[in-house]
Amino acid sequence: MAEVTMIARPAREDTRQALVLTEDRLGHYPEFRAFFVRTFDLDRVRLSEPGFVRAPSGMAYALVFVGRSGEPFPAGLEIHAIVDALEPLDDAVVDKDLWAILGWMIGGVGAPWTVEVLQATGQLYRIPACT
Amino acid sequence: MTADALEGIEGIRDKWPFVARYARVNGWRMHYVDEGAGDPILLLHGNPSWGFLYRDVIPPLVKSGRRVIVPDMIGFGLSEKPAREHAHSLDGHIANLTALVRQLDLQRLMVVCHDWGGPTGLGFAMSNPNRVRALTVMSTWAWPTPPAEFHTRLFPWRTMHAPLVGPYLLGRHNILARRGVYLSVVGRDKFRREAQAAYEAVLPDPETRLLTWVWPRWIPLDETARARARFAWLEAELAKSKLPTLIIWGREDEVFDAATFAERFKRLIPHADGPHMVTGRHFLQEDSGPEIAALIAGFLDRLDQQGVE
Repeated sequence: MAEVTMIARPAREDTRQALVLTEDRLGHYPEFRAFFVRTFDLDRVRLSEPGFVRAPSGMAYALVFVGRSGEPFPAGLEIHAIVDALEPLDDAVVDKDLWAILGWMIGGVGAPWTVEVLQATGQLYRIPACT
Repeated sequence: MTADALEGIEGIRDKWPFVARYARVNGWRMHYVDEGAGDPILLLHGNPSWGFLYRDVIPPLVKSGRRVIVPDMIGFGLSEKPAREHAHSLDGHIANLTALVRQLDLQRLMVVCHDWGGPTGLGFAMSNPNRVRALTVMSTWAWPTPPAEFHTRLFPWRTMHAPLVGPYLLGRHNILARRGVYLSVVGRDKFRREAQAAYEAVLPDPETRLLTWVWPRWIPLDETARARARFAWLEAELAKSKLPTLIIWGREDEVFDAATFAERFKRLIPHADGPHMVTGRHFLQEDSGPEIAALIAGFLDRLDQQGVE
């Protein structure tokens, strides 16, 4: 899988955030929530700003963390592509980027979760981004 | 979503000629079919299917002199599809079904359960035994330990519905309806030719597929699972149940394999009839619809002959 890198907040001028993936239950397996808390220093940052990554296409994505009363933070996560304000998304590009972000996440979560198993699962179900 | 979603599927009127009916249940709009007259039979589907799964079961049961009611679970088929994960819970789905049965005032019910139609249908039956005459279980479970070794594996099950991976694979790519069902039938070419489109058509957009990754997350894998207490209650109630019960299983079912699951139901409900083995993997109705109908009708005929109320 191509590399995903953490970046500082990209310039906002003439861009919009386009919602491309939503997770309501980030802590279904708690180690996934722990990965994001660790990676984006969320115990300190809390809701003050999203996390930002750059995906293999070169496009930036905002990871918007969602709080929910009575649940550990973050309860959910939205991934937004940061795109030219008036231009439509290239869905195929976004799909490949999301697949790379998932691989980056799984690699960061660590054992027993592995990128190899994610790849095998994608191949079993014939996901275009992993073929 | 309405039955219009099915327009454009070749031959759909022949395969699914039933009148679409809707009821407001527990706050949601539920689609169901209601065919025939006589003692009622409730046919319950699971993930990611809908009433269409029973298309070859309905006509012979109607012909046998029974009323057949087939609801689409809230979140599937032609029923309303809540947009948020928190709208779904096992107890809530049991309540949805209870609301429909009470609205239709169904009595002397045969409740036929498959996949998540098992925990919901059996949950309804155990909490409303005065409305139920008999049970049928097929490729399902009703106890708090992981249903199958398959469900504990990272590949592919737990990875498939992991945080963010679930919304991507099951939401964006609809892998259960596009590939999962196909992999879980015996006659794959026939399935692809005759049925695949009807399963995909009712899950057209990622948001409509929410329950396909929410249900897997409700399967209890350990002591902390949300539905563990409900499944423990269900197992205890079934162990006490005297309801006539029929067990039907797919011979080729490798996820809910008969040696483990059908036999466990037999131990839990020793008076149950079966297990009767038919051709089929997990979605056995796709391969053996008429045979399943014949087993259910025959079982009910015997109850009638024995004067079982």
